[in-house]
Amino acid sequence: MRVLYINNDGGGFADFINVPDGQAVSDFFAERMTDEDAGEYLIRVNRQPVARDQKLRDGDRISITPVKIEGALAGEIPSA
Amino acid sequence: MPRTTNRLCWPTEPPAALDSDDAPVLRFTPPAWAKLLYLRDAGPTEIGAFGITSADDLLRVEEIATVAQTASVASVAFDDAAVADFFDDQIDQSRRPEQFARMWIHTHPGDSADPSSVDKSTFARVFGRCDWSVMFILARGGDTYARLQFSVGPGGSLQIPVAIDYSRAFPGSDAANWQAEYERNVTPQRQPARIGRAERASALFDDHDLLTDDLNDPDDPSAITADYDPWEDMH
Repeated sequence: MRVLYINNDGGGFADFINVPDGQAVSDFFAERMTDEDAGEYLIRVNRQPVARDQKLRDGDRISITPVKIEGALAGEIPSA
Repeated sequence: MPRTTNRLCWPTEPPAALDSDDAPVLRFTPPAWAKLLYLRDAGPTEIGAFGITSADDLLRVEEIATVAQTASVASVAFDDAAVADFFDDQIDQSRRPEQFARMWIHTHPGDSADPSSVDKSTFARVFGRCDWSVMFILARGGDTYARLQFSVGPGGSLQIPVAIDYSRAFPGSDAANWQAEYERNVTPQRQPARIGRAERASALFDDHDLLTDDLNDPDDPSAITADYDPWEDMH
């Protein structure tokens, strides 16, 4: 099945890719984001946050985007 | 300590020189630059944005795009869901990530555009896995700072000059929409937290709310943060 995959690592990616039927989001992340901590990203399917065990479906849009984009003078504690 | 920021370098060569591939220059179209100045001065807080570039020139910022964010006079933090929405919206407009997600822009209070330890850490953590990315800082006093980092090949980073590119036709001001975007996306944080001693002097000059009681605390973890240089850990 095909899903639209969006992320910004490497050269950036926004295209349809083939994935195994019913692949779990956690497996998709582990496969695509080797050695990365899922806590450093917001993972959404069809614009909604998802549980790690959610199964992908044909035509889904999955995005993996960075979190905690913040600037501050030293000691300042950003709180979004 | 020598200054590392620079005033905006106004091109003295003909516009064609700006297209040289010899050295990278971060360029803003006049409307993008005008919008960034407007947003910087629209309120007392820092603001942050993504720079959107043309498809054929990834160092030419054509648009400044804010997302929902919480900001104080000395900090800005993007809302994570708003960043994801921004990615989705840009993809729906047929842009590629390299056009809209590589240029992290924010403003600083005072005269210094030097990146803080938090700025450097965010740039390394969030954008360090990208093939390339740019952190651009505009100080309220006018100084600018642009750093291009790349992870392909041997990796590395360098500070690059900044210019406004007048070589193409451009439209006029859109202040009403810029103001509406500011009010929609920038939420002031009423209670700024602590400021590390390294940047205290530059931050305090225009906001007395920052004069908190624990600035001189020797155990203040911000002092440690101020000394940390993530550039040393990169590449």
